[in-house]
Amino acid sequence: MGTRFHLILPGLDESAGNRLFVQVKREVDRIERKISRFDPQSDLSRLNQIKAGRSAQVDGEFFDILKACKTCWEITAGAFDPVLAGMAGEPSGAEDVLPGMHSVQLFEEGYRVKMGDGVQFDLGGFGKGYALEKIRELFLSRGVKHAFINFGDSSVLAVGPHPAGGNWKIGIRHATNPRKSAHVFRVQNASVSTSGNFYLDDGGQPVQHHHVIHPRTGLTDDRPVTMSVCAASPLLAEMLSTAFLVMDDEQIEEILDLYDGVEAAKIDYSAGSGEPEITVYNSNQNNGLEQYENQPEEVS
Amino acid sequence: MRINRKKFLEMTAAFAGSTAMAVHMPWFSIFNNPAPDGTGAADRVRIGVIGVGSRGTALTYNLQELEKHMNLEIAAVCDNYEPHFEKAKEIVPQADAYMDYRKMIESTELDGVVIATPLHEHAQMTVDCLQAGLHVFCEKAMARHLDDVKRMYDTHLEEDKILMIGHQRLFNPIYLDAMDKLEKGDIGPITMMRGWWHRNTDWIFYEDTGGRGTELDKRLNWRFYDESSAGMISELGSHHFQVANWVLGQTPESVVGHGSINFFDDGREVYDNFALVFRYPDGIHFSYDCITSNKHNGMQVQVLGNDGTMELESNMWFEEFPSDPPSAENLLQQLEEGENETIPIGGATWLPDTPVRLGGKYISPDYEMNDTLLFLEGFVNYIKKGSAPEKLTIEGYNASVWTLLAEQATKTGQMVTAPEKYLL
Repeated sequence: MGTRFHLILPGLDESAGNRLFVQVKREVDRIERKISRFDPQSDLSRLNQIKAGRSAQVDGEFFDILKACKTCWEITAGAFDPVLAGMAGEPSGAEDVLPGMHSVQLFEEGYRVKMGDGVQFDLGGFGKGYALEKIRELFLSRGVKHAFINFGDSSVLAVGPHPAGGNWKIGIRHATNPRKSAHVFRVQNASVSTSGNFYLDDGGQPVQHHHVIHPRTGLTDDRPVTMSVCAASPLLAEMLSTAFLVMDDEQIEEILDLYDGVEAAKIDYSAGSGEPEITVYNSNQNNGLEQYENQPEEVS
Repeated sequence: MRINRKKFLEMTAAFAGSTAMAVHMPWFSIFNNPAPDGTGAADRVRIGVIGVGSRGTALTYNLQELEKHMNLEIAAVCDNYEPHFEKAKEIVPQADAYMDYRKMIESTELDGVVIATPLHEHAQMTVDCLQAGLHVFCEKAMARHLDDVKRMYDTHLEEDKILMIGHQRLFNPIYLDAMDKLEKGDIGPITMMRGWWHRNTDWIFYEDTGGRGTELDKRLNWRFYDESSAGMISELGSHHFQVANWVLGQTPESVVGHGSINFFDDGREVYDNFALVFRYPDGIHFSYDCITSNKHNGMQVQVLGNDGTMELESNMWFEEFPSDPPSAENLLQQLEEGENETIPIGGATWLPDTPVRLGGKYISPDYEMNDTLLFLEGFVNYIKKGSAPEKLTIEGYNASVWTLLAEQATKTGQMVTAPEKYLL
């Protein structure tokens, strides 16, 4: 997953904390070995190496991962697509049907996967959410009361209430004014995932990333926009934050109608003034879409 | 970020007076304080190019680029190999063309020459040109033999003419940022340097020579022959030996090494792989290896410090202990204080690294500047001023001396130190 991972376990003694940490680390390493695009021996890399039109057998867990991806791909009408066109052709920029998830077939019997021409899986928009999902299950089974897990500052999971009481307040940092939060999610037993087209360097400055590719045009999306999604399921938050980046307001609302308790925030720096336009979407409100005044919260 | 000429000049101006510039790259001040560029013919700097093969052609094109905005003229070209002579006339049709450099310096009025001939020819040409009152830019390395290196240097002092050796990293802006960071201790005390140049190539510049050992091959593929070259030690390694001396601000105390031909055994006389260890004062070592049958590792020079590593060829530096992302620090603090404040997380992925390697940052903004062009621009400017920073010549001198000592180490299997007479 190519990033750093922080696990904060308030209220546990050191020994119990260390034991839990080792279990979490093993689980994260296991998932990394399964779905990493950078490890040539991973299940994902081996699948990417099979020839077009040929099928390969994967294990049950990996098959479930691919099924979850396909479901999200269907729900988002292809906006979430973990299948890259690879080197199949130059992107035209037009709304073509490019090689993508639709060219991958999943066969329950024998957990077989058949790949289309020139396609490659990239689970970059999935892995951190999946790892958090697994960690959440582990913590539930161990009765962990409070925990905060942070994957590279882009995918976090808050377990239980905040140790000082109340919800955890997860602020999405204002990119051009790092002392402020552009939006704050108030969460318990939920995850927040952010996708964007730029990253922050160590000095907190935005740097263009060019890593989100529009699945229907094949072009990178260079708008300076981040999309953050809060949901009980870390995996859902992860996948929707990626998909929502390339979806319009109406499409986002339609997706949110399918779920309870999902909140999303689009933070758009396109205006170039340094002050972003912030749009919040909420599955629990009938009016759904609210345009907020720009009043970012001051944080210490 | 890509840096253009304007940004480059802002950078060199900003570094004026810094230790990095004053100690390591004093020649960079010339770009903010160029010599007056009179427009008349009398003020025109007249350059002759000796050797118009692969490197000489590139240098000629760079000089033509400079002609567009400097009062400069390529007044003469020279090559004693007929096809190169003809090509030189095509590239610079208005220049006087010669096959013998002696005739060139006798017959065409020149201020300076650019020499890009085989290594073993550098010394006599340089000495003749300096003694004819010309300033010299000579491609690296300086010469095939230590006494010739010394003779070139001494003649430059005696004749009081500029002698620059074309180690182009000396004019690479990335090194100014790197030197500044090293001076400030950003990677801590330097404890080692490593370098390598790995390629997968037969290194044959000219195919139709009749093969190894023929007279034509000795002339064109001169890099393969002991008489004319130390092979990759002089043609590749010397660049990085210069960098190590420059970064460490010292010359080595000794060098050991080995070389062999273990793959391209086609009659060439120079190694197709070698490995060296230079020992510097304070117990610092610079290990360097070169191979031409495997390109996996590419080319690199690393400066290793107790707090970080700089990779100079790729403009990257890596901290040993990158700081935690702000949210983790912030949360721990508030948990200790029993507070429930907002936990700020990155507005987008917080990356402790570039996609290349975990923990890396750029040493310097990415430059569009061509260091060879800057070097030649510096040469022309210094010709107008009549002299150049002596450190430029000394960098070339020390690199060439230690290139030849390194070769000696590989041939003798002995640890080699510099004889007193070659120390400046």
